[in-house]
Amino acid sequence: MENINTHTPQVAVSQHISSYKLLFTVFAGLILLTILTVLVSTTFTFSVSLAVALALMIASTKALLVAYYFMHLKYEPRFYKWMVIVVLALFTFFVIMLTIDYFTR
Amino acid sequence: MTTTIAQPSYLEGKKGLFSWIFTLDHKRIALLYLYAIIAFFLVGMTLGLLMRLELLNPGKDLVEPTTYNQIFTLHGVIMIFLFIIPSIPAVFGNFFLPLMLGTDDVAFPKLNLLSWWLYVLGAVFALATLVFGDGPADTGWTFYAPYSVKTGTNVTMAVMAAFILGFSSILTGLNFIVTIHRLRTPGMGFNQMPLFAWGLYATSWIQLLATPVIGITLLMIVAERVFGIGLFDPSIGGDPVLYQHMFWIYSHPAVYIMALPAMGIVSEIIPTFAQRTIFGYKAIAYSSMAIAFIGYFVWGHHMFTSGMSGPAAIIFSVLTFLVAIPTAIKVFNWVATLYKGSIDVKPPLLYALAFIFNFLIGGLTGLVNGALAADIHVHDTYFVVGHFHYVMFGGTGFAFFGALHYWFPKIYGKLYNIRMANISFAIFFIGFQLLYFPMLVVGLMGMPRRYYDYLPQFHVPNVVSTVGSWILATGILMMIANLMVAYWKGKKARKNPWHGITLEWQTSSPPPLHNFDKMPEVNEKGPYHYKNAMDQ
Amino acid sequence: MEHSFSLPNSGHNFDAEASKLGMWLFLFTELLLFGGLFLVYMVYRSLNHEAFIEASHHLNVWAGTTNTIVLLASSLTVAMSITALQQGNKKRSLLLLTITFIAAGVFLVIKYFEWSAKFEHGLFPGMEHYSQLPTGERLYFYLYFFMTGLHGLHVIIGGIFLAVVMVKIKSGKVHKDRISLLENGGLYWHLVDLIWIYLFPLFYLIH
Repeated sequence: MENINTHTPQVAVSQHISSYKLLFTVFAGLILLTILTVLVSTTFTFSVSLAVALALMIASTKALLVAYYFMHLKYEPRFYKWMVIVVLALFTFFVIMLTIDYFTR
Repeated sequence: MTTTIAQPSYLEGKKGLFSWIFTLDHKRIALLYLYAIIAFFLVGMTLGLLMRLELLNPGKDLVEPTTYNQIFTLHGVIMIFLFIIPSIPAVFGNFFLPLMLGTDDVAFPKLNLLSWWLYVLGAVFALATLVFGDGPADTGWTFYAPYSVKTGTNVTMAVMAAFILGFSSILTGLNFIVTIHRLRTPGMGFNQMPLFAWGLYATSWIQLLATPVIGITLLMIVAERVFGIGLFDPSIGGDPVLYQHMFWIYSHPAVYIMALPAMGIVSEIIPTFAQRTIFGYKAIAYSSMAIAFIGYFVWGHHMFTSGMSGPAAIIFSVLTFLVAIPTAIKVFNWVATLYKGSIDVKPPLLYALAFIFNFLIGGLTGLVNGALAADIHVHDTYFVVGHFHYVMFGGTGFAFFGALHYWFPKIYGKLYNIRMANISFAIFFIGFQLLYFPMLVVGLMGMPRRYYDYLPQFHVPNVVSTVGSWILATGILMMIANLMVAYWKGKKARKNPWHGITLEWQTSSPPPLHNFDKMPEVNEKGPYHYKNAMDQ
Repeated sequence: MEHSFSLPNSGHNFDAEASKLGMWLFLFTELLLFGGLFLVYMVYRSLNHEAFIEASHHLNVWAGTTNTIVLLASSLTVAMSITALQQGNKKRSLLLLTITFIAAGVFLVIKYFEWSAKFEHGLFPGMEHYSQLPTGERLYFYLYFFMTGLHGLHVIIGGIFLAVVMVKIKSGKVHKDRISLLENGGLYWHLVDLIWIYLFPLFYLIH
């Protein structure tokens, strides 16, 4: 919590610069995952819950890539990562409680 | 002494209407909120008096049943969305957070002005329901589906009002979080912050992370009404219990939006008037964060009788009890702070003590509601009404007026008549107990809430309650009159009339436009380190 | 009157870190706004499983996939344009933003054709065909229109945001040493992409 409050001069903080090469690599990964998720859903037939889980896992990997590299989360202070974790944890809790309610009625 | 020219106060300086309504100064914005919020409080109070008047005798004697439904809905909407949620953060948070942190404004002054204008817009929508369509909503402030989708009254506009006010609240919270992270004066770490700032910090996180959920839920209600499709209407496949889930995912944390800043106020007032270092600074600070966090996990306790599943209800009931722990920690620490302090009984302290008393009753009755089995009995009775008025009005409401008395000299540079303030407090407090305690009793006897009528056996407590409402209103009007007299004719206040040591007392009363004429001095041993209080 | 003393930690100073923190906080509210919709989706899908699968056959997987790729590419160009401006290459940064802007347009055009196809089939809530569907499928289409509609609104807002940034880069108000506005525009645009990453499999790819 403390680490982003150092009273640095408030103008022109030195930032991380992502190379074009890195960005392209991430983009390629994202496209591959997109193709994968389409293929998985159209060609194979799993049990429904497995298919949903797989689709969500691939989507979450993609989301992580976008957040981590495109949104520079990787280079942000630890506080930012904590915030993201807390927000996701809250949302997960909402999901869990709703699931418990609807599956035990 | 350095020779600094005295800056004009923020109240002098620029004149004219536009210098107020388009100001970027956090202090002027805070005052705009103050006047609006007190005005809405008085409107809400009038509606409350009307309801009590109808309930003086069983049977219909004053208003039509539908009108009664509209009155209690409007009372709820105004009191919740226009008074209590914005009250302490928007007024005292805006005014004193930058002062307490030793800075000259919030992090995003323009965004702050936008919050104010969104508040105005939301208020206009809420009031417009009076004029347009078939009158104000009659659903209760919770807008439960499917009735809210089907009723002919003007729910759409009321819901839009809540949506817009939600955004105002989100932006205020966002502004405060960034302010606390970025603008603390050099030398002030998180653990040197005043506890009011901690309370606001916890509150802001709730405003930020809970309000969007109700925003989208209310939009769904609007879409359902406008396009006539069933999302929460069971006759077309929807599930009304899901609406309740979505609604309380926000609205339960919102209870802590109302309570946490009030607890922050009490944590300011008590050390100042006991002239003693606060007991358990970190415990109070971190318990604010704990309450904010646990507050997200307990929303289901509003739905024990709604058809939620048994296991879910049990889990929510257990989680609900967890909230009592950090809350009790705070109460013990406040009481321990008073112990062996040199207590100076002034109006702000009276309000703080009343907060503790009322909050104790509100909190303990809350445990009755939170216990699954007991709640089945008291759900939707006047016991619940009594409970949340003890917490919201007896807690946050008293803290709000306590803060007003505490900081009035700083805001206006004038002192009010202490004797009148004490008398009006006593009337207010007695009226409050007479008004709400009988509700707990009739609730346990089984009187359901939200009806214009009741069975004859509940008559006596209802009469007491209605008489209490008149006494309470007298006390509040006397208090406001006293402050207004002070504003025009009060004695000039010194810089620090209560001998407080947080940073806002280091600047002149009223503060200059840029808050500080010289660098504020941070007390390195913590914000409440009264150096020789015991030796003096 | 001249203001002789000013605090070092003034709220009126420009603070890049504060504006970034503020933007992230705002993104969290957006995430939870859509999060609420995803919760509703989750519940109704688990209650109306078969109907959701049945209804999803009305969607065109290829249109959805194309749009996914378009959005991902636009995210790439925004990220690159930040790199370009950080390196001081104003011209390239503007070019990349223009590409992003065009991609946003392409996304909306494809979305427009998808929506109008649904309208032609009378699948919009309130239309004739829609009213004859079983309740589960009606919920699906309601959620489809609500969620993609709200997402489309965010695409438009993001596009306007980026257009403003482009104007400010051109006029020199946003530059190498004061890049916050571009970064925030980028963050917002990535959020729009993030949400689509989940919308795509949840609506198009259920079989």
